[in-house]
Amino acid sequence: MSDARSTILTAIRATLRPDRAAADPAAIAAAAAGLLLRVPPLRPDRVRGAAAEAFLARVASPAVGASAERIVSLAGLPDAVRRYLAAHDLAASIALQPHPELCALDWSGIATHPRIDLDEPVAVGLALGGIAETGSLVFHSGPTAPTLFAFLPLHHIVAVAAERIWPWLEDYAAALATLPVPRNVNLVTGPSGTTDIEGTLVRGAHGPGHLHVVLVDPAYHPPASDAA
Amino acid sequence: MTQPAFAARVDRALADPDLKRAIERTTGTARSKRAAAVAAWPDFAAARELGRDIKDHVTANLDHYLLTFERNATAAGAIVHWARTAQEACDIVVGICKAAGAASVTRAKSMLGEEIGLPHALADAGIERVETDLAEHIIQLAGDPPSHIVWPALHKTREQVAALFRAHHHDPGALATVAAMVASARRELRRRFMAADVGISGANFLIADTGAVCTVTNEGNAELTTTPPRVHIVTAGIEKLVPSTAHAMSLLRLLVRSATGAEVTQYTTFHCGPRRPGDADGPTAFHIVLVDNGRSRMLAEGLAEMLRCLRCGACLNHCVVFRQIGGHAYGGTYPGPMGAVLTPVLDGLAGTQDLPHACTLNGQCQEVCPVAIPLPTLLRGWRERSWREGLEPGVVRGSLFAWRFLVLRPALYRPATALALRVMRLFARRGWIARMPLAGGWTRHRDLPSPARQTFMAQLRQRRPSA
Ligand code: SF4
Repeated sequence: MSDARSTILTAIRATLRPDRAAADPAAIAAAAAGLLLRVPPLRPDRVRGAAAEAFLARVASPAVGASAERIVSLAGLPDAVRRYLAAHDLAASIALQPHPELCALDWSGIATHPRIDLDEPVAVGLALGGIAETGSLVFHSGPTAPTLFAFLPLHHIVAVAAERIWPWLEDYAAALATLPVPRNVNLVTGPSGTTDIEGTLVRGAHGPGHLHVVLVDPAYHPPASDAA
Repeated sequence: MTQPAFAARVDRALADPDLKRAIERTTGTARSKRAAAVAAWPDFAAARELGRDIKDHVTANLDHYLLTFERNATAAGAIVHWARTAQEACDIVVGICKAAGAASVTRAKSMLGEEIGLPHALADAGIERVETDLAEHIIQLAGDPPSHIVWPALHKTREQVAALFRAHHHDPGALATVAAMVASARRELRRRFMAADVGISGANFLIADTGAVCTVTNEGNAELTTTPPRVHIVTAGIEKLVPSTAHAMSLLRLLVRSATGAEVTQYTTFHCGPRRPGDADGPTAFHIVLVDNGRSRMLAEGLAEMLRCLRCGACLNHCVVFRQIGGHAYGGTYPGPMGAVLTPVLDGLAGTQDLPHACTLNGQCQEVCPVAIPLPTLLRGWRERSWREGLEPGVVRGSLFAWRFLVLRPALYRPATALALRVMRLFARRGWIARMPLAGGWTRHRDLPSPARQTFMAQLRQRRPSA
């Protein structure tokens, strides 16, 4: 095995560095950083104004295909979930991501369980953040964030804080560089889908068929009618 | 693969009306969605140059990035393996499966896995393989190889898929719509995800500075393949490296728009090492197999530009030849323009030399390639090499020498072409030639336009009598 390693590296070096000069990591890092300087002016014109607004618009766009709503505080999440369950005629039983902030909420009237079933109808979770450019939710796996929560349920309802919306993909990448890298980073953009049969888009392949995003935005002033 | 074999495969493909319809349905949608996505991005051209430069930067420092990736992946708990050849790569994967006592593996679509022949290697080892990508599931049921790098079941019409599911699924239901077919596959595969001992995936990017492996998918099957089993094995070509997550983002924008016309896939996942202490799920062992299989040779032999390839499939969707003959006629793992460049590397030029000829050099592929690979130039390179190595058949060599003899002698060439015109016009009906001796290769599948009454030189003389 180590044989293969040295054969491959030797072959590559014979082409790239015929003079046998060692690679210069500082020069390579500088060149790599230089490439990134070219990114901002050529990105597609997606994020104008507040990142949270752009994020919400993108999430609910047909291209992403999720639904979205906004609440002022996380305490309002159980009510949002109740409304969703009623609107979709779903039983009042959910898999609740074992996150302390979610577990601390008042779920009365809804049966919650911390483990997710193979055919789970509804799971409720909390994303680490979101990306406005693409309307993506960001999940980092960990003890309070099992990966399968984003993949097994038929309906996935996800709360995300407005102050954790990064404008561009690169802004998330920069934030990641300051955090411990988790086992899994999952950027989730809309419900699952496939175009594998004749290029026809069908929502709900193996992952969730429905994704509902609940943006938690303390600066939001709900219209009087749904302030109750 | 010999020349008649390629010609025979092409004949078979051209004679299949279902195939033509299936290809056009998917590639037509892909072309229009890509065009819309590119039109909505004013700076696409500049972004494409950046994509090219990122890949070239990695290629120029491939040894450095491979070692950086290996170091960081290992620090995250991954076990990194190296394979020179397809055989070595398969042996490593099968060895890991056996050591894990695996009876069943799930697999998320990976073209590299197809390239190295992993499905066969697993079958030979007696390990059950469950393909979880919808298209791979379809072709596994049909016993077919993939016919496109993004839509492996592109050659199947919806009617054919319905027939397959009716025959193989436990609870297929009515299957009246594509949505019903997708739902049937969801029911069928659900339990298989949890029952697997090992999950195998490919990689779209290897992130050097974190040691993570990035996959981009839409169905959710990849994460259901890589999360529940005890062991996750990644097979990846050594060209998949990028310096950092931020660099991957630039390539991601190009890759997804070029592949499906979407702006981003539903799932972009970075896998970094095995399950951590306290994690609720995830594999306990994480292996990465770095595969060369001809790539270091491409670097050495003038094909470095091909190492930019993101496997987006745009060059296939826009290729006039691919759209006529489909993927299977190419006879290799990779079809279309990128396949015609890669297959001679993987299978040897002798026997695949027809592929670089199956091209009109219209340049569409290069135009749509998100990393600006000069595919027509690379194809011409193979043609020249095939000529130099004497792989072109005697008839072709003889005719070209005869042609050269004529064109170097205008006094002979002009009357010869004037005579040829007159003979050709004898076979023309209403401006088209449907049949003519020596032209069967052309006229079997299409008509030849009748030539002008006189040669170019003769017309020129008439228009400029003084000259
Ligand atoms: S050669 Fe270019 S267009 Fe073709 S698959 Fe590769 S990246 Fe895409």
